[in-house]
Order: sequence, then C-alpha cells, then structure tokens
Amino acid sequence: MLQVKELCKYFGGIKAVDGCSFNVERGTITALIGPNGAGKTTAFNCISRTAQPTSGEVWLDGERIDQLRPHKITRRGLSRTFQISRNLADMTVLENVICQSQIGGWRDLLKPAMSPEEIDKAMHLLDFLGISRIAHEDGSNLSYGQKKLMDLAALLMSDPKIILLDEPAGGVNPTLLEEIVGHIRKLNEQGMTILIVEHNMNLIMRLSHRIVVMAQGRVIAEGTPAEIRENPAVLDAYLGGTLEDAA
Amino acid sequence: MTVATKSDASEGVSAVLEARKAYNIKLAASADKARSIWFPLVLMAVLLALPALQFVGNYNYVLHLVLFTACYAAMASGWNILGGFTGYISLGHNVFFAIGGYFAGMIFARYGVSTILMAPMAGILCAAVGYLIGSITLKTRGPSFIISSLALVMIARILFDHWTFVGGANGVALKANDLPVLWSKLPYYYAFVILAAFSVWASYRIKHSKFGLGLRAISKDEIKAESAGIDTRTYKVLAFAISAAFVGMAGAVWGEYLTYIRPNIFLVILVSVNLVLMCILGGKGTIAGPVIGAILITAFNEVFVATLGASELNILATGVLMVVVLLFFPLGIVGTLARNHRLPRILNWD
Repeated sequence: MLQVKELCKYFGGIKAVDGCSFNVERGTITALIGPNGAGKTTAFNCISRTAQPTSGEVWLDGERIDQLRPHKITRRGLSRTFQISRNLADMTVLENVICQSQIGGWRDLLKPAMSPEEIDKAMHLLDFLGISRIAHEDGSNLSYGQKKLMDLAALLMSDPKIILLDEPAGGVNPTLLEEIVGHIRKLNEQGMTILIVEHNMNLIMRLSHRIVVMAQGRVIAEGTPAEIRENPAVLDAYLGGTLEDAA
Repeated sequence: MTVATKSDASEGVSAVLEARKAYNIKLAASADKARSIWFPLVLMAVLLALPALQFVGNYNYVLHLVLFTACYAAMASGWNILGGFTGYISLGHNVFFAIGGYFAGMIFARYGVSTILMAPMAGILCAAVGYLIGSITLKTRGPSFIISSLALVMIARILFDHWTFVGGANGVALKANDLPVLWSKLPYYYAFVILAAFSVWASYRIKHSKFGLGLRAISKDEIKAESAGIDTRTYKVLAFAISAAFVGMAGAVWGEYLTYIRPNIFLVILVSVNLVLMCILGGKGTIAGPVIGAILITAFNEVFVATLGASELNILATGVLMVVVLLFFPLGIVGTLARNHRLPRILNWD
C-alpha cells in the first residue's frame, strides 16, 4: 500500500538517505530498523514530507504523494508521530487531539472549534488509550508516556489508513511499553497498517510481520523477524554480536 | 479507517459514559459561569450613551479619548489575530492603517463619499493587499518575519512620500464636516466604538472556530500543526488578511477624523509599536487583552503628557511603567491573571 522508490535525501555532502526502496503491505506491521545514523528518521520525514526528499518517489495506494504538502498527505490517510513528542502547549489534551481531525478551507471560520461529535470521538479514542481522565489537562503538563499516548490518540483522530510511529517506545517505562504494544496490536487487528521506527529490538521482533533494515541510507535487508535475525549483513551492520545485544 | 473503540462495550462502560457526560456538562457550566457576557454589553451601552454628555457641557476631550482608545482597541484586536493567535509578530501593520486611510481619504477628497461608508471597502482592500503580502512574507518566521514587516513599513513610507497623486510627503487635506463643534466628533465616535466592538466580537468568533484552533496550533508548533493536517500556509495568510482588514477599516475613518492624510500620520513606526505594546501589556492571544492594553496605554500617555508635558519625557515614563507592569504580569495583565486563575469574571471574554 505504501511504496518507497529510490528515496534520496542529501544534507550537503552527507547522504542521509541514499536510494532507499521498500514496500509496506496493507494490514501489516512493518518495522524500519538500523544502527544510529542509518537514515531511518530522515526516511520517515521524507515519506511524511516533513523533510523534502532530494529525489525518489513515494506512492500511497497508487497515488504519488512525495510532491504533496504535509497536511495533504495527512488527509490522504498517512499520519505520523514524532520521535520526541510534539504536543501543543497551552491547549488541553482534548484540543490537541481534535486539532488532528480533518479541517481545511474557508468554512473553518464558521465551524465551532470542537463539535460535539468530535468531542465524542476524541473521548472514545482517549478512553481506548486509557487517558480520558486527563482530557481537560494542559497538554504540556503530561508525563512523557502520557504524551506518547496523546500523540497516538491524535493520530487516530484523522482516520488514517496507515500510521507511521517514530520510536513509540522511546523513553517510556516497561509497564507503559506493554500497554503501547497492546494498543499497536489491537489497532493492527482492526486492519490498521503500521510502519514503526524503533530501537527496542525485543519489541520489534515480537510485534512486526516484516522488518526493513537500513544502514548508511540504504536498505540492506528485508524479511520476517526470523530471517532478519539470521541475516549476516544485518549482524555485520550492528557490529557483529546478536541483534538483542546491539539493542 | 475508523478505529472501533467500543469493541469491549459492557455494562460498566455505559455507566462511565454517563458519568463523563455529566462531568463534561459540569465543566461547560463552570466555563459559562466564569464568563460574564453582561459586562461587555453594559460597557457598550455606556459608550453608546456617552455623547449625551454634550447636552450638559463640552466634553469633546472625553469623546476624543474614548474614540482614540476605541480606534486602537479595534486595531490591536485585529493585530492580535495574527500576533496573538498565530504567533507572528508584525511591526508592519501601520501599512494597512495607511492603505485604508489613503483609499477612503482619496475617495472622500475626490468624490465626497464619507469614509465611514467606505470603511468596509477599505477593509476588503486591505485584506486583499494583506493576502498578497502575507503569502510572500509569511514564508519566513520568527525574527526574519519581524524584519520583513519592518521592511514593509519602509517600502510603504518611500512610496507614499513620493507618490504625487496622493500629495507626496505633504499629504492631502480633507474637508471637515459641517456639524457644530459640540457634535462634530459624533459620527467618528460611533464609527470607532462600533468598529472596536465588531473586532472584539470577530476575534472571539475566530478564536472559537476551527480556524482559531488551527491558528493556536500554528503558534505553538507549526511543523506539528502541518503534520496534523492543518493547511498552515493558507491559515497564516488568511489570518494576516483578516488582521489587516481591521487595521485598514480603522485607518479609513481616522483620516477623515483628522481631516488630513499624510505619510507621517500613518506610516510612523510608533503606530505599529503601539499595537504590539497594547497586546503584550493586555495579554497576547486573549480577547480582552488588546482592549485593556489600549485603555491602559492611552491612559498612561494622557496622564504623563498632562504631568510631564508633551516632551520626550512622557514616552519614557510610559515605557518605564510598561516594564514595571510586565515584571509582575509577564504574560500581559489578562494572560497572567487567567493563568493564575485570578481573572475577574468581568474580564473573562475568552
């Protein structure tokens, strides 16, 4: 459903992403892994157009999206979270979430900021993630883990077809990690296509159907977790040792 | 796809839903209780009735002060839509003050159409110009945007200083109206008071619209807002156009009130600096803030001009007082009080 073809992103002489190609099949959880500096997050940014790719193509459901502006990509059904949670301070959790519901055009001037239907939907999502208690808190007062959950709720508000999660487990405690894993699983069971960047190898191996390994801006291996675990090129990229050690 | 969140519905869930509904209603009720609609309405009624003072004596000075404050309150509320809600500080909004003033003033000078009638047209013109300028300058942000807005003032000043059709640096004198001295301010007084009320109402509506929510998101984190699906470019430019329109409408009437249009009335940096100071003093991004700021700064100025004379000294005194106020109210008066939950109900217009 998501196809990345020969994606390149150069920062001056540094080739952060250098001809990266992979596919994400509908209904799967695909993980993007690789050592630090492999270009995972940059590739992510190029797909969601937060960064402009130097060259290459990104296709979503047979439509080329790498020329579109980020908000259009979100409205086409591709939503993302950020590695470091970017929440909107001075706005309540509810407002943070509802910001992500589909809006646009002149008519927004006349529509109320939060319609009862949107509040209802947002509250259901917050309930689903178990944080509806804090719906009226200021977004900046939350703990790091709560912010991650809020990001997830906001993501789902736009009814995406595919979600890109940038290190959903980064900096959260083991209990919350299990909770997040549970949510990701549940979403996937409902048919959501998910692309994850993550360093926690244990989580990746348990969760994903397919793994794409990047090193130095290129895809060096692709396959099921079992295949990746045994792949010599991947082990080499992680400086010998086993993947679990490296993580 | 839509996420099915009700999959594990059971008997317990409906009780939770009920409780939450009740909680939401309670929250909404407490927000309503904190707000008092009657105060702005009473204030408006008093202001509309104020010219009746002229029956018992000559209160032209009082009327002038209210009119002046209302003019600035309207402009500051307009500026607040871009500077407060969206977070783009513009020091170039007096350009729209000038465009509105010159457009309506020249039509008044040539065809005798009252500037009060032309003010909405001036607003539309300024919105169009603002849209064009905004689509260029809003590509920058932060300090670069502020400097681009300063450049706009300089460009406009040079243009108007040398444009002979509008009198160049000498400007154009406009005909004063024929009303007796006691009542001559009246049309402008009502125009400005109604314009101020309209701009406060409009900024309230904008803040509570989807558009306003988007603007607030932009001011906090533009990249996040864009990736959340908000068309940030259109939103910003639209906010710029709307805020320019309010400043332009005020400018249109201001020219006829002074019976003169001249670059050094409209295109001095003091005008746009005043707008910024009023919003910062009152509280950027709040509804009542720009109005409170306009009242306070006008009052400071008058007091210091009266006590220290019309020298540079009064400007210095206003500046010092501002610094002192902002030491204790870093988010502006309304903003800080609201943050500390101490905002008197009569000032809660948000």
